[in-house]
Amino acid sequence: MNENRRQILEMLATEKITAEEAERLLVALEDAPSTANEGGEAEKPKHCAKYLRVLVEANKNGSPATVNVRVPMQLLRAGVRLASLIPRQAHEKLDEAFSKHGVPLTVSQIKPENLEELIEHLDDFSVDIDAAPEGDQQAKVRVFCE
Amino acid sequence: MTPNLALIGIQTSAKRGFRLWFPLFLLWIPVLLLAPLLFLALLIVCLGKRVNPWRAIAVCWAIVCSLPGTGIQVQTPKALIQVRVL
Repeated sequence: MNENRRQILEMLATEKITAEEAERLLVALEDAPSTANEGGEAEKPKHCAKYLRVLVEANKNGSPATVNVRVPMQLLRAGVRLASLIPRQAHEKLDEAFSKHGVPLTVSQIKPENLEELIEHLDDFSVDIDAAPEGDQQAKVRVFCE
Repeated sequence: MTPNLALIGIQTSAKRGFRLWFPLFLLWIPVLLLAPLLFLALLIVCLGKRVNPWRAIAVCWAIVCSLPGTGIQVQTPKALIQVRVL
């Protein structure tokens, strides 16, 4: 029995409110979302994304094809550390190659702590790409975390 | 946790196919036997490229240990191919 309910019943017992008013308060209490912790109830643990999923559905000339890739987040974290193994003299060449292809990425700035902050906010991450059909070709790409 | 099993499944449109289970943990035996040679080769490459060999080993180990759970599935009208690491 939580604190609000107990207070309502105590007021009813001491005749500070009528039964009708107590009933209205209880109904309002059930409808209102609980925002504060009561009686030591633990907060709902934040869901951490464990896998990155990439779903591709393509349809070319009437032939459907699907690609389903599931990558553990731990693998992404470990992969980011690969950037630390790249020799410094190769950083500039890589940055130049990325910028040439329109990717504004600086290899030396990729750090594990940056990825951790990104992963924390990936719970609601979802990308849906529905490419406009061109003739007999159509494709859908969906990227999300679970 | 290191990967223990790899599942490779191939199924064709004629409902024929096969599924293979690879015991990846058995690969540790030759790796351990060749560990001195592998470490020496890694040391030479890392020193040549001016990379910390211990960091390289740690990163490679982290990648190997994070492989369990990886899955790839490709499905076409003619075939279904599945690769999973457990």
